[in-house]
Amino acid sequence: MKKVLIGGIGNVLLGDDGVGPYVVRLLTANYEFDEGVELCDLGTPALDLIDQISGKDAVILIDALKVDTEPGSVLRYRKPDIVEHSPAVRMDPHSPALVETLLSVDMFGIAPADVLLVGISSGSYDCGCCLSNPVQDSIDRVIAEVLAELDRIGVRYYLREHPIDSGIWWTSTEQVPARL
Amino acid sequence: MSKRITIDPITRIEGHLRIDVEVDNNSVSNAWASCTMWRGIEKILRGRDPRDAWLYTQRFCGVCTTVHAMASVRAVEDALKLEVPPNAQYIRNLILIAHALHDHIVHFYQLSALDWVDILQIPKADPDRTAKLAESLSPWTRNSRQEFKVAQDKVKAVAASGQLGIFMNGYWGHPAMRLSPEVNLLAFTHYLQALEYQRKALQVVGMLGAKTPHIQNLTVGGVANAIDLDSQGALGMDRLEAIRLLLSEVSQFIQQVYFVDVCAVAAMYPDWFKIGKGVTNYLAVPDLPLDSKGESYDLPGGYIMDGNVGGAHFFRTAADKEFRESVSEDVTHAYYEGTKPLHPWVGETEPQFTGWTADGKYSWVKGPRFNNQPMQVGPLAQILIGYAQGHPLTRKYADLALGKVSAVAGVHATPDMLHSTLGRHAARAIRAAMLAELADKHWQLLVNNIAKGDTAVFNPPMFNGEVEGVGTHEAPRGTLSHWVVVKDAKIKNYQAVVPSTWNASPRDHAGNHGPYEASLLHTPLARPEEPLEVIRTVHSFDPCMACACHAFDPSGKQIAKAKVL
Repeated sequence: MKKVLIGGIGNVLLGDDGVGPYVVRLLTANYEFDEGVELCDLGTPALDLIDQISGKDAVILIDALKVDTEPGSVLRYRKPDIVEHSPAVRMDPHSPALVETLLSVDMFGIAPADVLLVGISSGSYDCGCCLSNPVQDSIDRVIAEVLAELDRIGVRYYLREHPIDSGIWWTSTEQVPARL
Repeated sequence: MSKRITIDPITRIEGHLRIDVEVDNNSVSNAWASCTMWRGIEKILRGRDPRDAWLYTQRFCGVCTTVHAMASVRAVEDALKLEVPPNAQYIRNLILIAHALHDHIVHFYQLSALDWVDILQIPKADPDRTAKLAESLSPWTRNSRQEFKVAQDKVKAVAASGQLGIFMNGYWGHPAMRLSPEVNLLAFTHYLQALEYQRKALQVVGMLGAKTPHIQNLTVGGVANAIDLDSQGALGMDRLEAIRLLLSEVSQFIQQVYFVDVCAVAAMYPDWFKIGKGVTNYLAVPDLPLDSKGESYDLPGGYIMDGNVGGAHFFRTAADKEFRESVSEDVTHAYYEGTKPLHPWVGETEPQFTGWTADGKYSWVKGPRFNNQPMQVGPLAQILIGYAQGHPLTRKYADLALGKVSAVAGVHATPDMLHSTLGRHAARAIRAAMLAELADKHWQLLVNNIAKGDTAVFNPPMFNGEVEGVGTHEAPRGTLSHWVVVKDAKIKNYQAVVPSTWNASPRDHAGNHGPYEASLLHTPLARPEEPLEVIRTVHSFDPCMACACHAFDPSGKQIAKAKVL
């Protein structure tokens, strides 16, 4: 059994920064996964991320990016990309913790074999609990990237016949998609 | 001829804090602490249900989720004059203790030890001598030659690879580094072990709070844990025993490793008990309530002005009248509209960005004031106030720490020395040792109360008219207060005055420096272009700007970088 973490990183109170937790909760609501797969809305974990990823075989993280591409672009990064190019790529707002976490687990000898960051180029980090339109429109592509990675590492998933509650409480005054 | 040095960002993990110092003849002559991003999250709360506020506030900061959740429910309970059943108090206290133990371990080992420990000296250490030294300091069973050798080999491998990885940005070989290779190895080995023990503390938070990183068990009026001693699903004896075991392992690490390391490292840098004093007004609130009304507490609170510890004033409750009436926020030098200091219940958060100007506005952090004075908050404030009160547990561990420092350094360490950079580290270790002991006490209180047949965990809130409340928590970084105005069961105003706002405060209308700023004045710098000494003092406060401002790091840098202007 592979131990896999699918983690959404970001602050749900800051506009597009909340896209990671949003996607993880949609995945939880709409899919069932092999045993050993853990889905987690990580918030903005800083160094606690070390605890979250230690002992995992594979880690898929979903986070907002600040890059010079059009908002809503979905980009993939492997560990060497994150560790070596982070200052140029400028993954906001948590790249400091992400880079430091990946370097730390290396040093501690508990690094997962596979690391994928699915990043969404984001438009607005203003205070507010909803996603901008380009980021909302990217959600299907983000989910496709996550599922493609699960295919690649041989982890199975099933679309739920009856989706469960997504638990996206922070958009309580906005519309919440019932299902994908 | 003075030059200005900018350090941006200064926290090892969460960015956002910028420090500017003016240096004359290798000594800091002026300082500015500023936060580089806007904080305005509180506005989201207006118009929402006060019972849900804690869900939002625990997203203020990814490191301190639990503390903002707790302060929020306490604020609403204070507004409603709602009592909290004893079981709920004890469960909350255990969560807060476990969170604080986790936080203090991470702060010392992951976030600040490497300001004092020189990684590149470690390959020169003799593991046998390190083991002998360790044995003389502590009964910790994992102080074996084997553990030291494994840790040393890790560093050797990193050094040989030419890729310093996690250590790439340290000030290694800096002239202000003064530990022997063996002490460096000892501290680094514990840095590796610390990872396991902070995780155990976090597991306790998860077991009681249903989830980490965001606990789920709070509710205005109590907690949502179902108590049934015979059940495996609810909070029963099985889970309580598992919690006790974890807490005792963490406590042992605190008492035998963290507490000892801080004393030993401090004893090797005795001059740092004379550096970094700064603002000597101190503020702390009582915490760990022992009854449902909040009339008695295990941690004392109060305030000290001008370093006059003997003349300390004490708060009777966590929402003391004097505290409620004496807090204001000054925006003279912060990027907000407004001309006069405002009480948090009528606080405003309207941005007015001007860019960084030394004589004008220069920070997104407001300047909290107590009776119009800047206050230092954090473990040091709590320990000094407890010491002044003759609080037995504070005296026990403060005297033990001072005794250990005296023995290793061969000097007579006194409580006066705590007004310093190392004093802040020592106070945090003293507090951690106290909390480790209190963890056991509150576990026992909970189990005894349940054994009496009391399984109540919640009193329902009732809303009526317009009411104001303050919820406080003596968090790992110091006094946290959430201020709420509730009207017709909706939030009318909400302000969070967080510990790092007190300490990172900019100057106020009277020109008083905030605690970070004041603590840096007259700091000697061996190499101004590598201002390790500035970083040591700022890190001693345990800065976490993510909750003072929102978590957006415009620089993308990983670690403190200094720029000489």
